Amino acid sequence: MTTNNSAPDPSDTAAAQTPSGVVELAIPVESDLLVLARLAVSTVASRSGFDIEEIEDLRLAVDELCLSVLDGRRSGRLHLRFDGTSGQIEVSCHHDGTGVVPERSDAYTDGLTDELSGRILDALVDEHGPVVRDGWRGARLCKRRAALDA
Amino acid sequence: MDQSFGIVEQRRQGTSVVAVSGEVDVATAPALREALERVVDEDHGPVVVDLIDVTFIDSTGLGVLIGARKRCADAGRDLRVVVGEPRILKVFEITGLTELFSIHGSLDLALSA
Repeated sequence: MTTNNSAPDPSDTAAAQTPSGVVELAIPVESDLLVLARLAVSTVASRSGFDIEEIEDLRLAVDELCLSVLDGRRSGRLHLRFDGTSGQIEVSCHHDGTGVVPERSDAYTDGLTDELSGRILDALVDEHGPVVRDGWRGARLCKRRAALDA
Repeated sequence: MDQSFGIVEQRRQGTSVVAVSGEVDVATAPALREALERVVDEDHGPVVVDLIDVTFIDSTGLGVLIGARKRCADAGRDLRVVVGEPRILKVFEITGLTELFSIHGSLDLALSA
């Protein structure tokens, strides 16, 4: 992950942090790179004062958000935006590829896992749903710090 | 990328034990699915999936376990799950899967069930 003070990252995986604390991340659609999205939300959440349990919730929620946007795609790039300001975290995610959503033949990408993913997001975040950003369809979630809800 | 992910298969007390470690996500779930399919197809007796050393599991990992449970049921075999980490158990709870799986707090408890 780089900041605005760093030289541009020439690799396929790029991240930037704005002065306001908003982090943007673009990763190629490779299954083993989703860990970067989990790492990013952990870092933003920690800096925003979320506790360990909330951070673990966010790691899983962001993973599920990415899976819902990918919908089985194996190509293109995934763009994520993490905004940890105002005592909450808002994460938006969209896919910029034009790849066709593949036939769902794998046991781990069938409708059942979609249902499980929805249950996980319902339980772990305050809001989640579809969003359109820069003309691309994606999804977003928002989680508020428990201490602020109390 | 998760270097800690691993699967160890063994036979204990007439039971097939598949011990998983690390993070179970879209990148590693296929390997778990292959291991479980092989164990269910080739061995006999109960199957225990030991998740004691699992640090993360998402819906793809849960989907693999559900598929394995169905495969076991079709083969007339019992599938049990071992969960130690509270945050892993929480994933089963919020998805309602504690009602579906036989979940145990240790491998010994699962073997003696």
